Amino acid sequence: MDHLSPFEDQLAALLPRLRRFAHALSHDAADADDLTQATVERALRSKAQWEPGSRLDSWCYRIMRNLWIDTARARTRKTAREAPEEEGLSVGEDPRPGMEAAVDLRRVMAAMERLPDEQREVVALILVEGFGYREVSEMLGLPIGTVSSRLVRGRTALLAMVGEA
Amino acid sequence: MNDDEKFFAWLDGELGPSEAAEMEVRVAADPELKRLADQHRALGSQLRSAFDPIADSPVPQTLQAALRPTAQVIDFGAAKRARSMPAVAQWTAMAATLAIGIFIGTRVPQESSAPVQAEAGKLYAAASINRALDTELASAPKGDVRIGITYRDSAGEICRTFTAPAGSGLACRNSGRWQMKGLFAAPEGQGSDYRMAAGMDPNLAALVDSTIAGEAFDEAAEKAAKEKGWK
Repeated sequence: MDHLSPFEDQLAALLPRLRRFAHALSHDAADADDLTQATVERALRSKAQWEPGSRLDSWCYRIMRNLWIDTARARTRKTAREAPEEEGLSVGEDPRPGMEAAVDLRRVMAAMERLPDEQREVVALILVEGFGYREVSEMLGLPIGTVSSRLVRGRTALLAMVGEA
Repeated sequence: MNDDEKFFAWLDGELGPSEAAEMEVRVAADPELKRLADQHRALGSQLRSAFDPIADSPVPQTLQAALRPTAQVIDFGAAKRARSMPAVAQWTAMAATLAIGIFIGTRVPQESSAPVQAEAGKLYAAASINRALDTELASAPKGDVRIGITYRDSAGEICRTFTAPAGSGLACRNSGRWQMKGLFAAPEGQGSDYRMAAGMDPNLAALVDSTIAGEAFDEAAEKAAKEKGWK
């Protein structure tokens, strides 16, 4: 009785991944969930534009990325500029086991936040979401060489920021 | 592709077999490249460890709710057993109902085609909504007003949910008429096509949840109820 149509069904299965990507785009958890919700709403409204048989995940990621650009980019830049660099404070000082790993994760997330948007989205799509270069190039409407060079710059900057641990 | 890009493409498994083999040899022979490869592999796994917990955590209810199609009948009996409507939701529902009542009362009082009429402090379905409640079946949707679910409330009266272009609502039989129990405006900026796909307004779902006795009617029961004049 409680069943969704195949489209909604597939969309539901994508929600966890879409949330993850939203959190990579927007460091703020509430913004990320708002973005995910807006993406779901847009996907449902635009259902007729999705070609059955094509990848629904790429299609939804593209919707999310475009919504993010439309609505939140200016705000993110502001947040990123003002983000306190508190993550460095406790490094090496907290003796509790496991803390070091947790700090590393916070550092890597904070570093992601400081990447320029165009590098962050490529890093998130390829290194976190596991898409291939070609898929990302089609999703973002960019030449594959641009995707590849943004990825190099993004991951190099990230590594420099998290330190050569 | 420059050397850097080629190195990373190799790291990401993006090179063809022969180019990959070539890069493999170069990296093996170059301690600096080897160290870089290790660092970037570690960075990749750090990134995944940082973000994967988000994908592994439960999806919030609000997000899941956005996916429920209108025509689908939720098992309200079970839902009711599982949770009771919080007071806040009831007040929200009442406030929304009042707001619509006032809106309709002040803006379209003379309009004979207004789909809701106020009489003696009560709101009744009229025009297109009344017609739909009287005649439409959820199994055979047509027109602007769609019927969602039909059930008996705790007073034994038949209640039906509907979706109209401007909003959705619940009406129950009262002395041979459809009395509005709740009317919820469509969220700002969302057309009816969205609502049709996205499912029942959460306030409406909560209202149904709080009034339903037993289960929603199936197709046969809905048809039978119509034939008996919704008594």
